Amino acid sequence: MRTRRLTHAALSLLLALVFTPSKSGHDAVLAQGGPITVLAREGRRTLPTIELQGRQMVGLDDLAALFQLQVREDAAARAITATYKGQTIVMTPDQSLVSSSGRLVSLPAPLTRRNNRWLVPVEFISRALAPIYDVRLDLRSASRLLVLGDLRVPQVTVQYDDSPSLLRVTLETTPRTTATVTHEQGRLLVHVDADALDAVLASPPPQQLVTGIRVVDPNTIQMDLGPRFSTFRASPPVSSGAAALVTIEILAATAETSSATAPSAPGGATADKPGAPIAPGAPATTGDLPVFGGATRPTIRTIVIDPGHGGDDIGVKGAGGALEKDVALSVARRLKGTIEGRLGMRALLTREDGTRVDADGRAAIANNNKADLFISLHANGSPRPSLRGAAIYTLSLDRVGEDARRQSQADRAVLQVFGGGAREVALVEWELAQAAHLDGSNAFAGIVDQKLRATAGLPSVALQRAPMRNLAGTNMPAVLIEMGYLSNAEEEKLLTSGDFQNRIALALTEAVAAFRDYVEQEAQPPAAP
Amino acid sequence: MKKKVPRGFGLYAGLAAVLVAGLVGLLVFGPRWLATVPDAAPPISTPAAEARKISARLFYVDEQGTGLQGVEQEVLFGDGTAEQARRIVEAQIAPAPEGRVSAIPTGTKLRTLFFTKAGEIYVDLSADVQTNHPGGTTNETLTVYALVSALTSNLPAVTSVQILVDGKEVDTLAGHLDLRRPIEQDLKWVTN
Repeated sequence: MRTRRLTHAALSLLLALVFTPSKSGHDAVLAQGGPITVLAREGRRTLPTIELQGRQMVGLDDLAALFQLQVREDAAARAITATYKGQTIVMTPDQSLVSSSGRLVSLPAPLTRRNNRWLVPVEFISRALAPIYDVRLDLRSASRLLVLGDLRVPQVTVQYDDSPSLLRVTLETTPRTTATVTHEQGRLLVHVDADALDAVLASPPPQQLVTGIRVVDPNTIQMDLGPRFSTFRASPPVSSGAAALVTIEILAATAETSSATAPSAPGGATADKPGAPIAPGAPATTGDLPVFGGATRPTIRTIVIDPGHGGDDIGVKGAGGALEKDVALSVARRLKGTIEGRLGMRALLTREDGTRVDADGRAAIANNNKADLFISLHANGSPRPSLRGAAIYTLSLDRVGEDARRQSQADRAVLQVFGGGAREVALVEWELAQAAHLDGSNAFAGIVDQKLRATAGLPSVALQRAPMRNLAGTNMPAVLIEMGYLSNAEEEKLLTSGDFQNRIALALTEAVAAFRDYVEQEAQPPAAP
Repeated sequence: MKKKVPRGFGLYAGLAAVLVAGLVGLLVFGPRWLATVPDAAPPISTPAAEARKISARLFYVDEQGTGLQGVEQEVLFGDGTAEQARRIVEAQIAPAPEGRVSAIPTGTKLRTLFFTKAGEIYVDLSADVQTNHPGGTTNETLTVYALVSALTSNLPAVTSVQILVDGKEVDTLAGHLDLRRPIEQDLKWVTN
């Protein structure tokens, strides 16, 4: 008996040494978070979440009920196990490391006990549970969806380009999916060929053409039409990389509208007269959209500029006291001004002031605004004070990233499925969205290199590839630019001078214009309907 | 005079041997979940092990300041991959020798270290590695790859390194390099 106690003591000591306890967080504030919607062939369910110290957590009991897990608690060994069909996940209270079928997995928050329940971060589902589960689990954090199995749930985003008489709505579905547009009383309905939609829909501009937009059933997006609505035209989906773009042009009831309206395409159901009804369910398509100037042609319309760091994250501090976060924001504001003023493009900043934005938040601003280009601005630091020069970084991929890149290429294949029909496969993780855009990013980096030398007069510019956190989640060509070394006294003076910052902004504006030309030149003609 | 052996002594000795073997087997092989716990570096080394040293390649900031220079240095011997990895990390995060510049922020301490069968090493550092970090992509790259290079260059079983801070996964050390997954060796940061 004594030997048995000694054995347990030895096991406990071993675990205590292996899993060093982290902060317990007893002062955590519990709050109910929004539930995650679980999509499966059998229907929808909800998975409640709890916010704990800023992290979304789920109960192991809820996961056990949903996924038929056998959860056991071994109090003597301080271990919790969750077993599914002979494969086991081993967790330790207050530890972020878990073992999923023998493979060590790191979670962003520890296993925590609250109100007699064991809680794990939602990332547990994709990192620990998915590897042992026999059905694909796809957690879409942004839209709070958990997709089980091979359901077709494309990501859908929307972009608006408005003018006084026209609102152009571009819906992007990833992976490529077909869609039809119909007009019913006071609303446009976009029926997407999918089982459900992972939609993040920005509100329309206050133009009284479209007053609201939302998902109304599993695969339909509804746009509520306003009092100024006259007519609309929709393009068939065209390919843009791994995505399909559906452009809907909504015209206002003005004199200019009727003169600008092109005839409907043969066989199309476009409403070409104000108030003309369209048969419900009839696809509203036009063969082309020449009047409005090729809205779906790949080009550069929106640029997101990302001033590095911010808030209590000051970045590098120069010997003279200059802070990287301030230099980055100052150049970003100048760049926004020159891009908007000289190129007429839309430019957005990931932060407008000294606030701190995390890496996912920065990528989300770019992705949700359908940016065509992402430029992150930084100032560098080195242990060698003599080191100077700029550097341009693009994302380098490890094995996981290379897999994501291959998947992004593979999803361009159309696969025949059992029972007839075809399906496109896209399995790129949200956090590795950049993997599909590396060619564009490297092309833009090369252009920036030329312009920084020629226009800004920088003598030394290095092109580098590294696993950059801020670039990984961006779903468009993206670069990170280190404009110079704040650890070098001379460059610190340069980086804080208005003249130098203007030169950088001008060089980058020229680079954006050159990249737009490159993209338009490289673009393939739109696919025939 | 010859001492008489008690009757049944052999039987008792045999039972005792079986019991001891069973206990050892329990500690080593079961229960099942124990087999999934990764190798961890023992916290205390024996005096005999500390006396032994090996030659290992450690990495310091090169003359240009943009890369790392490998330097052969004596490091305490460790028994097994996890223990040897611990010794190498301790040497790498220690103050640099005369004439060298360390890429590791001052005050950084090794809390613990795990080695998995997949060849990944989890290096759990104290928060000093973030709070004392001077920032900048170049500085951060050198910090991360000094650790990655030291472990992957000297230990063939190690394929990648994940850095944890205070026992937790972190996005980055200073806002640039993605540390959410283990980092693989990248020789472009090593200049010799």
